[in-house]
Amino acid sequence: MSELLGTFSDGFARRSLLEAVMVGGLCGVVGVHVLLRRLPFFTMALGHATFPGVVLAALLGVNLFLGATLFGAVVVLVVALLGARERVDETSAIGVTLSGAFALGVLLLSAQAGFSRDLAAFLVGSIVTVQHGDLVTTAVAGAAVLGVLAVLHKELVFGAFDRGGLAALGYPVLALDVTLLLLVEVTLVTSIPAVGTILAVALIVAPAAAARLWTERLGATMAVAAAIGVASGVVGLAISQHWRVAAGAAIVLVAATLFTVSLLVAPRHGLLARRRVSRPGAPARVGVPTAGR
Amino acid sequence: MAAEPPAPAATPVLELRHVAVAYDRVPAVEAVDGVVAAGQSVALIGPNGAGKSTLIRAVLGLVPVVSGSVTVLGRPPQAARRQVAYVPQADTLDAEFPVSALQAVLMGRYPRVGFVRRPGAADRQAAESALAAVGLAERASARFGTLSGGQRQRVLLARAIAQEPRLLLLDEPFTGVDALSQELLLTALRRLRGAGAAVVMATHDLGLAHLACDEVCLLNRHQIGFGPIGTTLTPERLRATYGGQALELRGDGVIVARP
Amino acid sequence: MTEVLLEPFRLPYMQRALLEVLLLGALAGVVGVFVVLRRLAFVSDALTHTIFPGVVIAHLLDRSLLLGALAFGVLTAVLLTGIGANRRVGADAALAILLTSFFSVGVVLVSRTRTYTADLTVFLFGRVLAVDRADLLQTLALALVVLGTLWALRKELVLRAFDPEGAAAMGYRTAALDLVLNLLIALVVVAAVKAVGTVLVVALIIVPAAAARLLADRVATTTALACALGALGGWLGLAASYEVSVDHGIRLASGATIVVVLVALFGLAAAAAPLRRRVGGGGVPR
Repeated sequence: MSELLGTFSDGFARRSLLEAVMVGGLCGVVGVHVLLRRLPFFTMALGHATFPGVVLAALLGVNLFLGATLFGAVVVLVVALLGARERVDETSAIGVTLSGAFALGVLLLSAQAGFSRDLAAFLVGSIVTVQHGDLVTTAVAGAAVLGVLAVLHKELVFGAFDRGGLAALGYPVLALDVTLLLLVEVTLVTSIPAVGTILAVALIVAPAAAARLWTERLGATMAVAAAIGVASGVVGLAISQHWRVAAGAAIVLVAATLFTVSLLVAPRHGLLARRRVSRPGAPARVGVPTAGR
Repeated sequence: MAAEPPAPAATPVLELRHVAVAYDRVPAVEAVDGVVAAGQSVALIGPNGAGKSTLIRAVLGLVPVVSGSVTVLGRPPQAARRQVAYVPQADTLDAEFPVSALQAVLMGRYPRVGFVRRPGAADRQAAESALAAVGLAERASARFGTLSGGQRQRVLLARAIAQEPRLLLLDEPFTGVDALSQELLLTALRRLRGAGAAVVMATHDLGLAHLACDEVCLLNRHQIGFGPIGTTLTPERLRATYGGQALELRGDGVIVARP
Repeated sequence: MTEVLLEPFRLPYMQRALLEVLLLGALAGVVGVFVVLRRLAFVSDALTHTIFPGVVIAHLLDRSLLLGALAFGVLTAVLLTGIGANRRVGADAALAILLTSFFSVGVVLVSRTRTYTADLTVFLFGRVLAVDRADLLQTLALALVVLGTLWALRKELVLRAFDPEGAAAMGYRTAALDLVLNLLIALVVVAAVKAVGTVLVVALIIVPAAAARLLADRVATTTALACALGALGGWLGLAASYEVSVDHGIRLASGATIVVVLVALFGLAAAAAPLRRRVGGGGVPR
């Protein structure tokens, strides 16, 4: 264990560690909302859609968050408009739009030198090249997202359970929905240095999904999710330094492992626990008296 | 293809003996008892969630029966599929799907044709006359989705007719169907019964049940009555079937408020 | 104009690349029709995440990429058929995690090599210009298997797509049909890995078929159109990327260019579709 932690003695390693901790914690909390609103696939799609936006912003020298969010918004709009047409179902609309957006990103990148290296960084992260400026950005963005989540907590949770009810009370549900989507988008962009756009969805979904198996209270879930996210970041990073493998992927695999373990052993909600409770082979309830012909 | 030996005339088309059907150990419908002979027609009547669709699925052999037995033409449901045709509700199908009315009807012949081979002249003939039987011969090459709701329902009945079934199962065939289509559906059903087929249809429409069926099975998660429509469809039984949703009107009869 | 479209293909490696994308475009287009009709875009996307580690492992073990991709593709097809039969709410999160985990395994393995980022790029986005005769023969063989199976089961697959309840009532085992289709999709992804990579193959499958769907009223014509559009996109994309790279000095990745061309063709189809209806091609009025 001390050997593992010892790998964090360098400056760059400490920066990576700080980045992993912040991103892990942020993703954990946001992930709880993503699960509440059943958005794992949408987040995955958003991650794919964010890629060209980030590439474009980087090439144009525009602020990454702005570029990615704007592009993400455009993609969401195109998908919605396309899916509303006859003969274009939702899944095909997403498929066509994302393919186009993704290919566009690859195209833009390939047009300049250093293609492969940058591509890999955007897709699967490159945490070891994190600079001081990136840390500041992550901290500010993370704080902003968490701040908005804290302020709108009640409304967001209510809206997730009963959108109609919230609307009936006069709240602007659409604005709230869009706000959450924007927060997810910002979280995705913040996660890029750590895990890249393709893998970010795992860091957002897995810790929260694992946390849900341990506790039912929302506050506790968020705390546990943040903790698991941080743990994934730290352990993943250590594994990556020690065995010299890609950091982003290692972080995601740790998160996935923690989820799988939780799935099996969590008391009450885990699979093993549920097997013990139910009795297999219990007969169906029969024997309601007939009313006769 | 060798024809299966026809069941002897005395064998009922459908026999239900104290049938209970369950999904995942939760009972959906229980204690169903009844016999349907060739040429007869039964209306399955009950509120939403009463188990009408579940029972139909059990007769098709798609859902296992947890107790009792379902016998079709003297055999278990899975063995009798060639003689049984099912008509789903037309609005469950994708209206933009690229098939013509005739192609949709032809699909009923696929089990006979088998894999790899394409339908032959006899199959096309059967499909065309089935379409004519429901009054849609001149719309054969129209895309399925360009037809009205009632016309689509007729196409699905034609598909069943093309299967030349001994037992016909229909799920809410008159919902959202225009008057002309209703008329044509009823005529086609009468013709099928005349040729010896038995008909079981789930329906909300008590009036149409009277027109189309001679027997009725009242369900509300368990069977409340099964018998000739005149004697079985009584106010007390209807009240038992629909619970608090039935309103009595001056003792003349019963109006079902929210089927 | 024809100069641009034909000139690049005087070179042998370009000729091989062209044959490969024509084959793939046609194959993916045909399979894509069933994917689009069944709304299975998600399955195709899932396969690209899970086949990736198979490709990497095969590469590291110096075995045929085809076998590696095939093994993982079959595994995924089976898994997805099982899960698809049982969609519950929590399954979405589990599925997303499963897919990204597979992908991460692939990334971890690739990152151990010296040529990490270059290899990653090749696996994800292909390198159609490096296709050799053996690859072409492989693609041809896979195409024959897939198209042959589709031909044999075309009636039943269409019926299952149109009316799953009706198909089950007629005695068809819809789970078995679904498994077969998922396996065929996996084979197409496998066939396309070397040329366009695992990420872009989804586009080859979905985009031409989605475009064809907008314009055709029968399954047969939709399939023919999807096949043609797929091949056309391959040809135009390859020519365009060559032209821009050679004559204007801007390197454009071939696979990505093909996809962008296909999406452009989709855009044209989407614009043309309403016009077609107004002219009366959409069906007989009531």
